[in-house]
Parts: sequence; C-alpha cells; structure tokens
Amino acid sequence: MGLQYYRVKRDVLRARRLVVRATAAAGSGHPGGSFSMAEIVGCLFASHLRFDPGNPDDPGRDRLVLSKGHAAPGLYSGMAVAGYIGEEELGTLRQLGGRLQGHPDLKCPGVEFCGGSLGTGLSFSIGLALAARLDGRDSRTYVIMGDGESDEGQVWEAAMSAAKFKLGSITVFLDRNRIQQDSRTEEVMPLGDVAAKWRAFGWNVIEIDGHRIEQVDAAASASRSSGMPTVVVSRTVKGRSVEHMEDNPAWHGKAPDPAMVPVIQAELGMQFMVAPSIIAGDMSDLAGEVRRCEEAGADLVHLDVMDGTFVPERTFGHDKIAELRPLTRIPFDAHLMIDGPARRVQDYVDAGCDIITVHAEAVDGAGFGEILDRLRGAGVGAGLAVNPGTELPGWSHEFLPSVDQLIVMSVEPGRSGQKFLPGTIGKMARLREALDRHGFAGYVEADGGINCGNAASSFGAGARVFVGGGSMSGQQDIAGAVRAFREAVLDERRRLLMREAAGLGLEERWVDLHEGAKRDRLRRLAGGGA
Amino acid sequence: MTAMTDMRTEYARTLVELGRSDPRIVVLGADTTDSLKTSSFGREFPGRLFNVGIAEANMVSVSAGLAAAGKTAFASTYAIFLPGRAVDQLRNNVAYPSRDGMPGLNVKIVSSHGGLSVGPDGGSHQQLEDVAIMRAIPNFRVLVPADSASVASLVRVMASEYGPFYMRMARSKTHVVHEEGADLRPGRAVTLRDGSDCTIAACGITVHMALEAARLLSERGVSCRVLDMFSVKPVDHAALERAARETGRIVTAEEHNVMGGMGSAVAESVSGSYPVPVSMIGARDAFGESARDSEIPALLEKHGITSVNIARAAGAAR
Repeated sequence: MGLQYYRVKRDVLRARRLVVRATAAAGSGHPGGSFSMAEIVGCLFASHLRFDPGNPDDPGRDRLVLSKGHAAPGLYSGMAVAGYIGEEELGTLRQLGGRLQGHPDLKCPGVEFCGGSLGTGLSFSIGLALAARLDGRDSRTYVIMGDGESDEGQVWEAAMSAAKFKLGSITVFLDRNRIQQDSRTEEVMPLGDVAAKWRAFGWNVIEIDGHRIEQVDAAASASRSSGMPTVVVSRTVKGRSVEHMEDNPAWHGKAPDPAMVPVIQAELGMQFMVAPSIIAGDMSDLAGEVRRCEEAGADLVHLDVMDGTFVPERTFGHDKIAELRPLTRIPFDAHLMIDGPARRVQDYVDAGCDIITVHAEAVDGAGFGEILDRLRGAGVGAGLAVNPGTELPGWSHEFLPSVDQLIVMSVEPGRSGQKFLPGTIGKMARLREALDRHGFAGYVEADGGINCGNAASSFGAGARVFVGGGSMSGQQDIAGAVRAFREAVLDERRRLLMREAAGLGLEERWVDLHEGAKRDRLRRLAGGGA
Repeated sequence: MTAMTDMRTEYARTLVELGRSDPRIVVLGADTTDSLKTSSFGREFPGRLFNVGIAEANMVSVSAGLAAAGKTAFASTYAIFLPGRAVDQLRNNVAYPSRDGMPGLNVKIVSSHGGLSVGPDGGSHQQLEDVAIMRAIPNFRVLVPADSASVASLVRVMASEYGPFYMRMARSKTHVVHEEGADLRPGRAVTLRDGSDCTIAACGITVHMALEAARLLSERGVSCRVLDMFSVKPVDHAALERAARETGRIVTAEEHNVMGGMGSAVAESVSGSYPVPVSMIGARDAFGESARDSEIPALLEKHGITSVNIARAAGAAR
C-alpha cells in the first residue's frame, strides 16, 4: 500500500478541526498535545492499524493505546475520522453522561485504555502484547507516549520489561514536543538524549519529524520487522498548525475561545506545501538535486516527466524515478506531461511515486477513471493538471471528489524559463467556485514561474501546493529560497487571518492571542510593513 | 493445639491446579515468585508466569493489559509493596476501566506478608493499611482469609468470578480453622461458633484468636458468636445485622490499623442497620517493629491483638 499522502493530510486536517470544535465546546481540554500527535494518529488509522469500527472488540485487531491520555480530543477526533464515532459526538466532549470523557475511557467503544494517570500506558500495552503472543495472534500494539510523562519511573520499568520479553509487536511513538504542563521539558525535568536512553534500555530506536507523514509511515512499517520493541522518537511542535498555539506552553491545557474558532478553522484550512522541481536544478545530477530538496526541507519533490511528444522537451521517465526513489522518503509528486498516460501510469506507481498527476489534455473521462482507480487502489495520490488555456473539462466533474490534487499551470508546460502568467490568479479563483460545487476536497497546486513575488496572490487565490522552479531549485541556496518562500506565504496567511478576524470584529483579540515576537510581527504586517 | 498450614503453598498449588483446566490464567510476580511459591506455576506452564522484577507498579499495569486482552491475571508479591507501591495503577488501570457494565478488569491481586505477623523484617514491611486502601477503591473486592483451606476456596472464587479482587495472606503458617474443601463465598461471613451474648468478627490470623477468646469466655459462662469476616468487601450485612440484633454487641479483631479496616467495615454496616456498640481490636493508628519469629505473639500483644484482649472486650459486653 502506498503512502496515501493526501488522504492522510486530509484526515489529519479533519481531526484537527474536530479538536478545535470539541475543546471549544467543552471549554477545557488539551489542544496542544492533540495537535502535536495529529499526524501520528492520522497515519496510524489510515495506513497501519487493522481495525473494524463495526466490531471494535475483534480480538484480532491492532491496538492503539494513548498513554498521554490528556490528548484525548486528538484520539477521539482520529477515531471519528476513522469511523468509530460520529463527528457530532465530539460536541459532547467532557459532558456529564457522555462517552467522551475528559481522558480516554472504555465507555467509548474503540478506546483501548483508560489513560490520564501518566506513565502507565506502556506497561498496559505490554500486557496486551503478551496476551496476543500467548494466543498466537499477530496483532500489534501502537502506543503514543508523551515526553513529559517520561518523568514517571514506571515508563522505564516498562521499557526494561518490553525488552526482556522481546515484544517486537510493540511500537511506541514518543511525542517529543518538549513542553509539559508547567513549562519546557528540559526545564522541568531534562530528558536530554532520550533516544540514547531508549537505546540503552534495549529498544530499536527510530528518530523522525513527527509531522512528516512519510516519516511516520516509514517508521511504523520499519518497526514491524525489527523483532524488538521499537520507539519512534518523534520531534513535534506542541499546538502545531495554529500559530499562536505552536510551541507555547500556555496551550498545553487550554481550550480555544469559541469566538475565535472561525479564525482558527480558517488557519487550519490554510496549511500549504512546497514542492521544488528537480529539473530546475542540475539536470546532470538529479540525485544531487533530490538530496538538495531534502536538505532544504521540501514537503514534496516535484518530478516533471516530459516525453518530447505531449510537450516539446524530454526529461526523464519512470526508470530514473525508480533510481531516485531510494534516496529519500520525501513524497514524489510526479507530474506526467506525457501522451497516453493511462497505459503508462502503472510504471510510475511501481517506480515509487506517491502522487501522480496526468494532464486533462492527454486523457478523456474513461482514461482518467481508469487511472484514478489504479492510483487509489495503490494508495497513490491522484492529480489532474490543466494548461493555461484549458478549463476544467466537463468529464472531470464526476471525478473531482476523488481527485487529490489539481495542478493549475501558470506557464505553458514543457519549456523552461517562462514567466508566471498573471491570468492564473483569476483562473484559480474562478476554478475554486467550480471545484467547491463539484465536491473537490483536494489541493490546488500552482506550477510555473512561482516565486516570492506571486506567492501571496496565488495563495490568496487558493493554491496550497507550490512547485518551485528557478526560484528554488535554481538557486544555489535552495534552503534559504524555500525558507523565504514559506515566509512569504505565511505572511500572506497572517494578513488573511487578521482580515478574517477583523470581519468578526476580533482583530485586536486575534493579534493578542499571539505572544512576543509573533505578536510584533502581526502588528508590523497590519501596519502594512513587509 | 490445632494444625498449622502455609497459605502461600496452598495459593500456588491451587493456581497450578486451576491453570491446567483454564488456559486464561496467567501469573505475575515481582522478584518474589520463590517466596510466594508461584514459581511452581511457571515450571508447570512456561510462558504463563511473568516476572517483572522489582517493579510493582509495572506489574499491576501489565496485569491490566493482559486482562483487557482476555486473560485472568493473578499478580502477587508482599502486601507492603502491593498495594503499597501501586495504588494509582490499582485504581486507574485495574478498577476504573469498565466496558459494557463489566466492573473493572479481571485482575486478582494476592499479597502475602500482611500485618504485624511478618515479624523480623520490621515496621517498614508490616502492612497495616492495605485493607483500608483497597476497600476504598470501587469495584475491588477485599478478602482476608484465615487459613489455607480458605485460600484454596477463595482462589477458585477469584478465578471464576469476573472482576478485581484483593486477597491478603499472612507470612507465617496459620492455624487450621476451616475444614479442607470449605466453600467460601464473598459477601457471606462464616459463623464458626454460635452465641447469644456477644459477637466477635475476625479475619486472617485473628480468627483463631477469636475462637480461643470465645472458648475462654464460655468457661466464664459468656456465650460468644464468632464470625469469620474474611470478606471485608463486600461485607455480609445480613450476618452483621443478625449479630447486632441477637447478641447486642460486636468486637472486631484484625492485624490492621483500626482506621479503615475490617472493623470499620463492620461499624459502617451496623450503624446503618442496627446500631450496637462495636469495639475494635487492632493496631491503633501505629506502625509495627521488628520481632523475631518467637516474639511475634509479643509484638501482637504490644498492639493489643491477643485472644485475651478479645475476650476482655467481648466480656465487657455483659
């Protein structure tokens, strides 16, 4: 099964929205730690846990034990997305007589462990895993632990035990967000090199960025074959995706003000990705270009496949992609500018592409339907691209709810060095309306001549994935270019959110939610500064 | 002189016997599997005994996980550490989690070395608060058997009845009180001797003392009823109400703090049904201290726990 990158992205977004809704309704709860583990929860439910919401007690199921039980809203939201509970039930969080207790509780079907008293979830999971072994079941136990709760001595009692009993069926994700209730973990009780500690306890240790779906996914997969218990030390940001909550200890256990919820939901809907294209770099060293993208912190690597027929230029094909695949975990965003893509798309799946986009000009409805089925079956994201002169074809409408990505070309494909076509902005805005009408839930990708100068306008028009050509991969300092581009988009996002808040008469309060340098920056932006 | 038998041996023997027909039974220990004799279970059923080392909290939570996955988990070590070192785990991992109206998880906590009769190891190891702790946790049933026949019967009960139990055993051999094959049921006190002037409710090693006290009193013409209150929770309200009505006075005896122990359970019960004076024999909010094996009776006496004192308290009923 492929990475299901966009599916997980959407699941995680939905879950984060539910966390906001639930904690705001409850008037208390823990959004910070729910957000820091959101990608882990989303990825596990989407791609790793074997479960059946209709039969939550199936003995053969895998278990998800939330040891850091205060992040219950994050668990419940993930469970709602996974189909265990209805979304509307999230509104009953912490309510008298409800199933969604303040901390996870067996009262709610699908919850495996009554968390809350910290530091006990791993021990409990050892019991689950030992029982599975005795019964000859191959079910796995995934545990999400907090770094704060690692202060508890029982964590280390359990760590020794799991190693002693060689419980390779246990995978722990350690949500290393570096904040606990009082303050930062390293001030309250320094954990130091926590990976080294687990290694010393005899565990298989994997270190990842816990917000990168491809890294979470790879770690979960790798843990299954280790034969020893695995801990995935996941670097995360508490409150991730909402700027005023991010890395702010104040948001450990505080619910958002219901008045602010619309602005926060808007912010959640404004997550974006950067996808540098390797052909804008050194074409003679594509492997080197992939590595540069990785080092620059790209979200995706954009692969422009040109066949010399559909477009005048030729770049590379699936063989080259298969060669590049082992170099990085970063999702490959393959843009097939080729004729007859239906016949050739499987080669690109086999080569390890995570998202495959074909051109509306190169297929018809039947061909695209076939491609879509194939990609969905393989867990690969499916995209459709339109040239500057092409509108959304009528045959595409029925497929739009299943399409993960729409590339709106802002230059003519197949020739390098073109400038961004200013008409693209209006087109994106126009398309947005049609996309909404036809149930499109994917991401709009802007491709062609994208740079810091047009970042704001294309973001404003609804683009959420940005292909970087000469402005990123073409630069010596690609990391700096990516960083600058992100900042340009973020500033536009900040402006848009302040406008959103102003529309509700909440601009001052919105700005004041941000602390320190974050607030200063908003004031600067509000004053018209760059 | 009655025969003396060993509770721990009987505990392990019964577990092995039950383990043969019930594959769900698993046993956990914390570096005391030789002392508790549960190592014999591991020899008979390799793979079903888990020694977690000196880590009682971990042992309890691991037991809870095993139980959540369908096992009947017996976790054992010394009473000073269990419940002492693991109250949070007993409450939140074992007693609290309840699915579909099932009360708690199917974990049986069996401790040895309860009370002052632990002897030489001293006050740090003489658990006098465990019954109070465990009684206060919802879903837990609390048992303090008097002898090895009781242990055998109650281990069967725990293996067959769903839910959390706490059973406290003594370190030393204890007098035989019940016949072999005795059939004890939680919530049902056993009337070991009938009487009309006073009732002595006892549990654990004090049951034998109570019988001795009743014999002493009968020589003086006082008719004493003796109840084995091995089931501290649920307590036998009916038997206690009857005792209150029919004998007018109750003396309780236990090697436990009088605050929160079996005596408290008795007082709570009769105060709501048929209030009568309740005198409590037990440690009076105090700790123990070292006593060599031959000195254990003297240590108990220092805390007032003797058949003579029980008799004195019961005799004062007249």
